[in-house]
Amino acid sequence: MSILKEAVTYILIGLLLWGIISIFSPAKGLIVGRVAYDAFAKALKIIIAVFIIIGLIQVWVSPQTLSRILGKEAGWKGLLLASTIPVFIGGSLFTIFPLLKTLREKGASIAATIAFITAWSGKAPLLPLEIAFLGWKFAILRISIIIPFAIVMGLLSEFILERWKPRKEVTE
Amino acid sequence: MDVGSIYLIVAFGLLLLSAFRDIEKTKKALKVTGRVALTVLPVLFMIFILMGVIEAFVSKEVIAQWLGSGSSVLSIVIGEIVGCVALIQPAAVFPFAGFLHKSGANYGVIVGFVMTAILIGITTLPLEMKLFGKRFTIVRNILTFVIVFIIGIIFKVVPL
Repeated sequence: MSILKEAVTYILIGLLLWGIISIFSPAKGLIVGRVAYDAFAKALKIIIAVFIIIGLIQVWVSPQTLSRILGKEAGWKGLLLASTIPVFIGGSLFTIFPLLKTLREKGASIAATIAFITAWSGKAPLLPLEIAFLGWKFAILRISIIIPFAIVMGLLSEFILERWKPRKEVTE
Repeated sequence: MDVGSIYLIVAFGLLLLSAFRDIEKTKKALKVTGRVALTVLPVLFMIFILMGVIEAFVSKEVIAQWLGSGSSVLSIVIGEIVGCVALIQPAAVFPFAGFLHKSGANYGVIVGFVMTAILIGITTLPLEMKLFGKRFTIVRNILTFVIVFIIGIIFKVVPL
């Protein structure tokens, strides 16, 4: 029930924002609509695919298996995995976040989760574009530099988040 | 074929495989898919509207003008801020970065822009907070900003 309520709230906020802009400037309202539609159309296929994969992970991958791969007990191997594999995954933050939420619930560590997000910015699927517009030296340096930095990001975030706990012991 | 179609084919392939092995589990999986869709899609709707609002009010030429000048270390920070605010599709990041380079921005600024454009977005903040909580979001975004700054300095120093 509360899922539905939240869903309606977000949609209403979006519509309200769009409506206000359209009233003051119909031209700008049109741009807003076009950009929103383009973004949605571009992401739609990946979004559907990721939602399906999330469902499958939920029923097929046991928390034990996952934490053995990406959990704390996975140690360095897990962190290394989380800092390299995502380089080759496409999509945008919109699709990566829900996927990682599932992995996190299944037992992936904070370090692995944040290393995953950081490494994902390597964007190897877009390599041809990057080379075309910025040169191969730029592209190679950027992608190779991301892996060690993803490990650092993961460890540092975990270090901070494990010490910065809310006063009332709830950990959401 | 575009990346999206490949993803979709892989996902449906896995779904089929799952259905063959255990139809009950697959039904459960689809229920999860539906719940996730109901949770995430409305947030996405709001986010996409926000993206449209930003694009409607800030032109690309203005951004390029901003970033083209200035060669101090501070310009990396400006590149990062623009990357955070100008949420564009990852596939559009590199063409725009090429445009910035032609406008005179140095590689430190460009890498700052590229990395934050991919990793930080004021428009994705609501989704991140909803899924991972406030503390996670604050720590990840601030740390990313700092780390990208360091990467920016490396790119400014290394001859490319």
